Amino acid sequence: MTTHAAPLDAAESRRLGGWLRARASAARGRLVGAMAGAALSGLLLGPQAWLLAEVVDGVLTHHQPLGAQAPRLWALLGVFAARAALGTVAEGLAQEAALAVRAGLRGQMLAKLTRLGPHAMAAYPSGRLSTLLTEGLTRLDPFYAAYLPQAVMAAFVPLALLTMVFPADWVTGLIMLLSAPLLPLFMIVVGKGAEALNKRSWQRLGLLSAHLFDVIAGLATLRRLDASALQARIVADVSEDYRRGVMAVLRVAFLSALVLEFFATLSIAMVAVYVGFRLYYGGMAFLPGFFVLLLAPEFYRPLRAMGAQHHARMEALAAAEDITALLATPEPARSTGLRLSGPVREVRLEAVSFSYQPAQPVLNNLSLTLRPGERVGLLGKTGSGKSTLIKLLLGLESPTGGRVTINGQDLRAIDLASWVSRVAWLPQTPTLCAGSLAEILRLSHPAAPDSALLAALRQAGADDILARLPHGLHTRLGEHGAGLSGGQIRRLALARALLKPAALYVFDEPEASLDRTLIGHINALSAELARTHAVLMVAHRPEAVAGFDRVLHLSGGQIC
Amino acid sequence: MLTRLLALLLPQWRRALAGMVLGVLVIAANVALLALSGWFIAAMALSGHGGPRLEYFTPAAAIRGLAILRTMGRYGERVQTHDTTLRLLARLRVWLYERLVPLAPAGLARYRDGDLLNRLRADVDSLESVYLRLVLPMGVAALTIPLLALATAWFSGRAGGVVLAGLILAGFGVPMALARLTRRFDRTLPQRRGAYAADLTDLTRGYPEWLVDGALPRLAARAEANAMAAQMLERRLAWSNALGNGAGALILGGMLVAVLFALAVPVTQGRLDGPGLAMAALLVLGSFEAVAALPASLKARAELRGAAARIFDLTDAPPPVAEPAHPAPPPSRFDIEAQALTLGYEPDQPPIITGLTFSVPQGTCLAITGPSGAGKTSVLSALEGFWPLRGGRLTIGGTGLAALPSATLRELITVVPQAPYLFNTTIRENLLLAAPGADGSALWRALDEAALGDEVRAMPAGLETRVGEQGAALSGGQRRRLALARAFLRPRPILLLDEPTEGLDSATEHAVLAALARLCQGRTCLLTTHRQAPLRLATAVLELPAP
Repeated sequence: MTTHAAPLDAAESRRLGGWLRARASAARGRLVGAMAGAALSGLLLGPQAWLLAEVVDGVLTHHQPLGAQAPRLWALLGVFAARAALGTVAEGLAQEAALAVRAGLRGQMLAKLTRLGPHAMAAYPSGRLSTLLTEGLTRLDPFYAAYLPQAVMAAFVPLALLTMVFPADWVTGLIMLLSAPLLPLFMIVVGKGAEALNKRSWQRLGLLSAHLFDVIAGLATLRRLDASALQARIVADVSEDYRRGVMAVLRVAFLSALVLEFFATLSIAMVAVYVGFRLYYGGMAFLPGFFVLLLAPEFYRPLRAMGAQHHARMEALAAAEDITALLATPEPARSTGLRLSGPVREVRLEAVSFSYQPAQPVLNNLSLTLRPGERVGLLGKTGSGKSTLIKLLLGLESPTGGRVTINGQDLRAIDLASWVSRVAWLPQTPTLCAGSLAEILRLSHPAAPDSALLAALRQAGADDILARLPHGLHTRLGEHGAGLSGGQIRRLALARALLKPAALYVFDEPEASLDRTLIGHINALSAELARTHAVLMVAHRPEAVAGFDRVLHLSGGQIC
Repeated sequence: MLTRLLALLLPQWRRALAGMVLGVLVIAANVALLALSGWFIAAMALSGHGGPRLEYFTPAAAIRGLAILRTMGRYGERVQTHDTTLRLLARLRVWLYERLVPLAPAGLARYRDGDLLNRLRADVDSLESVYLRLVLPMGVAALTIPLLALATAWFSGRAGGVVLAGLILAGFGVPMALARLTRRFDRTLPQRRGAYAADLTDLTRGYPEWLVDGALPRLAARAEANAMAAQMLERRLAWSNALGNGAGALILGGMLVAVLFALAVPVTQGRLDGPGLAMAALLVLGSFEAVAALPASLKARAELRGAAARIFDLTDAPPPVAEPAHPAPPPSRFDIEAQALTLGYEPDQPPIITGLTFSVPQGTCLAITGPSGAGKTSVLSALEGFWPLRGGRLTIGGTGLAALPSATLRELITVVPQAPYLFNTTIRENLLLAAPGADGSALWRALDEAALGDEVRAMPAGLETRVGEQGAALSGGQRRRLALARAFLRPRPILLLDEPTEGLDSATEHAVLAALARLCQGRTCLLTTHRQAPLRLATAVLELPAP
């Protein structure tokens, strides 16, 4: 009861089951090895039972002392050792197979992420993708490490044992042969009913978990309304309701296991009683009789073990659904068109319109030209579409009307990577990744030498941060800039942007950080940059763009 | 950690024990079935070959009876243990909830992050399985092993000793030795996995930036390298576990052979006949089942320990604002005074508000304005008792806030928060939280006051309309007015309004403000706003400077 995935419908689970099996080809060798090991271990059950039967037979029928059986006992130990070794190899290889499949899928998924584009990425709630590429992938493991090998064993081992039981006593063989299909049959018949019940109980578990976390998320509101004590009773009541509901389902669902268990156990009892009476009336010798009795539990064991793998399969199917959905997400059409070469002379937005939802235009028939040597300031209120304009300029979104051109070429026809490599961008809330300071800075320019890093830090006014780091450029910074203030994070991000050999510099609301000196610094810096480059500064306060060559106002999706 | 977790489960010990006893019964019945079958066919064979006549009806019936007992016992065990698990689940959830209440909202702020909330969810899920995965298998094995050893000792004392040693070694010894040998993986593997997860978070959070910087392939390669490193460790761990399981199987096989050697003496002395030997052999063979579940259970222990540590870490945190040791009586006046108030979230970060002084005489309304980030909401949170003061004094009717228990504060204050939280249930239930006993007409009146009545009447399900996850089925303006309706249902002497008309169009704003003007009448009121219209409720305005 650790997942809350709702069961899938039959067609969907067949499709996903097929997809999961197809992935196994990535680890075919190891899987075959695992199955061969398990099969061999299963075959050795025969000699194991035979040796044990001979030992007992020697004492019972031939009245030999047990000491005379020492060679057989040593051989028996050998068989146990061989089965232990084979089991180890089979288990290890099965786990390796699962790891190999996971590695292959992970590679595909990571590559997919790099191609997915910001639009599709934003559609995933925060943390969903990380969870999918970590826990989601590990939830496939039991499918390859346990379910697949077990499914093969459930078919192979009983058949192999039957070929040993039939020569020893064909009537027992017949009992087993006739009872064996009953088990999977009952599994299916009862399982179908249980599936529907199961579905409801999964949904309830999902609701229960959602309820608790809904309540936790709204705790502040509950405290404000003085309803937190009342809610504690509701949490208790909901859990109790859930228990009653689920137990009603489980009482029925466990019946399927009961039937299975009943047939398997009763068959063993039948074999024992039947063999007993055959022996009593002299119908058979003790040795084969004892031999088949020893094999009877082993015959049903793999069939019963299959029942326990149902959950592993359900979990894997649920994870596979999310994984296939990610892999099937359409990627933005990537222009393989012309690569941008030579200097960037002009960047234009030509009568550009954009809307996230129809009839709610964010930008409306807007035109703007940027040229090297010019500082352009763009002012607008929160929500006026400033950040959207930057996205269009960077090619992260495509305009719904009009076009963006670079040197007169439509951006849609230009290889995007060759364009964005010319743009340095300081976003509103920049991200620092984990790693050393040098690694973080080099993300924008991997070939930059240390001297360039130091120069960029100085330019960004971040040399005081560097001075306080114990190992200089090689100091590892906390995850997501932990331990750094918002202003420090922005300075480092600015240094990263400055390191990039760019033609256009875009600064998004640098004054939004609560750091006035940084605003002045960037203003002065942009004057320097604008001598040879194009600079666009987006802001909502006029002092941030004081002294700029042009200051435009964005309002109602238009420049006015 | 695990002992503390188990202490939580103590009140259910009778049920827990009943499940274990049933588990023991199931294994005992199966071992007895096998042993008796072995004896039965051996004795029947002897009898058939001119041995002593056998009264065979009783053993034959006993064999069938044991088969039924095992099956029924198994069913009973599963029902009983799952019922116990679900009862523990209910208990655990209430316990967790009650621990989290005093922490909200400041102590839970970091759980707003989706990743951490998912972690918490997974941990709660893990803890719920502690009985089924850990306590039950261990308990059943601990009870069954001596029982099986005693049964074998009936044939030969030495054989009994072998079974005791063999089962303990295979069931507990090998998995524990394995846990010790692989202990370094407990540290290194989460580290590697953590690095991979952090890489993924980096990659997804800064996606547009990496795209522009052309850094996506490099970050993906770094994630892959960390994942590969984790996988190498997992591979070694998998083989260690496989070796452990192999060793366990070998020990059990060796145990059977050793028992047979030990039985040579009673056989030679004539104390043990053929049927007895068959019985002993099958008894030992059947006893393998007693320890089958233990390796998985010992592996679950490490996971559960980690989950328990994280949960206790959360619940043990002291509440951000402690309840007063000597509570003052509820104030009789409702003037609010702040003197040299200093507020800040984290001690290691600069304060958001420094040295703020203001006063709101009873029955007046103070509007707090200022740019975003200036700390308007922080003042309201401090007054609610959700954030500790870093300096200065805040009083209600002359009583310091620190001396007022939170129950008293709730009775004094009604809040309309900036981002009101709606629970995923009906409009009615969401309103009833504010006034548990209110009847339908009171709810409608409150909705009308909040200018939401007509819209709810237009919904097909009316008050029974479900608002969806976090109120997603309603518009932002509707959510805000629903929160306003809650305030109308729960009038208190002090009213805190955080951006009450944000996101409303001007007609609705007008209606809401008219209703608020009635609600503010005679109450002490603090309101924050960056819009102009709500200022007409105010008798005084306090502008906070930009930080």
